[in-house]
Amino acid sequence: MTLVLEHVSKSFGGLRATNDVSLRVQERGILGLIGPNGAGKSTIFNLVTGVYRADAGTIRFGEDNLGALAPARIASLGIARTFQNIRLFAQLTVLENLLVAGESMKRAHLGAALFRSAKDRADEEATKARAGELLRVFELENVAGAEPVSLPYGHQRRLEIARALMLAPRLLLLDEPAAGLNDAEAAALATQIRWLRDEFELAIVLVEHNMQVVMKVCEEIHVLDHGETIAHGTPETVRHDPKVLAAYLGEEA
Amino acid sequence: MIASRRRGALVVALAIGACLAVDWSLPLIVADSSVRQLLMLAACSVIVAQSLNVINGLAGQFSIGHAGFLGVGGYTSAVVASHLHVALGGGEPSLARSFVVVPVCLVASATLAGLAGLVVGLPSLRLRGDYLAIVTLGFAEIFRLVVSTASANEGIVARLGGQNGYQGADGQGVPLYAGPFWILAVMLAFGVVAWRAKFSGWGRALRALREDEIAAASVGIDPTRYKVTSFVLAAVGAGLAGGLAAIMRDGTPVVNPDSYGFAASFDAITMVILGGSGSVTGAAIGGVLVTLSIKAIELVQDLPLVQALKDRWEWLDLNACRMIVYAIALVVLMILRPEGLLGEREVGRR
Repeated sequence: MTLVLEHVSKSFGGLRATNDVSLRVQERGILGLIGPNGAGKSTIFNLVTGVYRADAGTIRFGEDNLGALAPARIASLGIARTFQNIRLFAQLTVLENLLVAGESMKRAHLGAALFRSAKDRADEEATKARAGELLRVFELENVAGAEPVSLPYGHQRRLEIARALMLAPRLLLLDEPAAGLNDAEAAALATQIRWLRDEFELAIVLVEHNMQVVMKVCEEIHVLDHGETIAHGTPETVRHDPKVLAAYLGEEA
Repeated sequence: MIASRRRGALVVALAIGACLAVDWSLPLIVADSSVRQLLMLAACSVIVAQSLNVINGLAGQFSIGHAGFLGVGGYTSAVVASHLHVALGGGEPSLARSFVVVPVCLVASATLAGLAGLVVGLPSLRLRGDYLAIVTLGFAEIFRLVVSTASANEGIVARLGGQNGYQGADGQGVPLYAGPFWILAVMLAFGVVAWRAKFSGWGRALRALREDEIAAASVGIDPTRYKVTSFVLAAVGAGLAGGLAAIMRDGTPVVNPDSYGFAASFDAITMVILGGSGSVTGAAIGGVLVTLSIKAIELVQDLPLVQALKDRWEWLDLNACRMIVYAIALVVLMILRPEGLLGEREVGRR
């Protein structure tokens, strides 16, 4: 399933956070979304996941129009995300952070809690098995019973990705996953992102400031500045685009 | 699977047997009916605290109007019990007959309180924190004031007795059908419900919502559904507790609107905070401790020394001072142990 944004705009008061942005994420593709601070990258994530409503334009995922759907419903369609400033459930254990995401897909209702039919038990077992599997993959087995706040930063980032994967998503939105990581960790992350796509067969949109990671991982890059698209293409073309150099890379130099 | 079913049935049968045994033996062990009343009130308080814990502890909302749900349950069950009693020909409320009357009362109380919970729960979708607290308080006060200010010949609400309290369909007092068996059995049953609810996907989803609503929605947890169902479950629990207390054996045969004032809501909050917000067993401990402390203050009141002091200073009324004592105790607790006795932990787990 492909994610398609067509002429999407969003303003906050007088500020145009996103202005007439159109983009497309192919099935199992990896798209980089870059731009200086305040370019509107996180706004796009919040529009896709239903946290904000677009003022204009359409957002479609496969057959579904996401425009009118609530965030929880959008998640259940197979769109998972991480947050720029990690948002874990602080008072739930690492394992529970995963379970709660898997259970919401099974629509954990009060009836299931009280009567626990054979099907409810089977669902529980399946969710636990998947959570155990992801804990292994992300090397979090040893801290399954710990509270997330006690974990080092890199572990918390991995846990947030694992939690997103509990939804068995078709599309994963990663918001600055390399932030706060050192060079070695960032390099490892770049490898992991490609591996994630292949292993879990999903599409990925990556918002990231670390250009090494972006250039290494992404197949396509979409560049925003002040809410508008200024360039789009392969890493090679974007890297040499004069507009990008001026607006984005130039700013940093 | 079948073996576990069979074991479950055995446990339920044993529990029912134990509750019956308590019902039969309690008057023999505890001769003083006021002490029996206290023990049963403590059991009701356990239900009150465990139900409020669903909203204030697990869901992280803040309700200060739990007394409203207690009141809906209390009046409903008193009215149903007295009409059934009259229909069955009056006489002594026997244990055998309670198996007809009490279930009907409890179903009615739980249903009406649950509906009230649905109505109060809906604003919780748009309001949070202080604003939601005001709505819950408003509901409780509206209920209490409507009942207590209705004067005679003013239609159906006036039949609830207004400020004088409801004294049964025939004015002979509410028949007190709920003996220790019912109180204990419902307490155990609701305890199991509260426990299962907390340690299920449903409870985890509620706790996740409490921690971070945006993150919870991003993993597919629909805030609307979970918040409203949490209010309904809590209201059902309060309805059961209120329903039991209103027709409790050894209790008073009058249901008075003042029993459902802000003090009752405040007691419920104290129970939850004292035991540890979010802890099911903590709520049970809090419920018992708070109920016993109320009685302890009454006992201290009756001491000759206190009586002598009271003769000298008329303003010395410990019952009136209770709120002050509570407030001080809570402030001290919040300083020394802000998470309550247990925090979110449970007795007998981990």
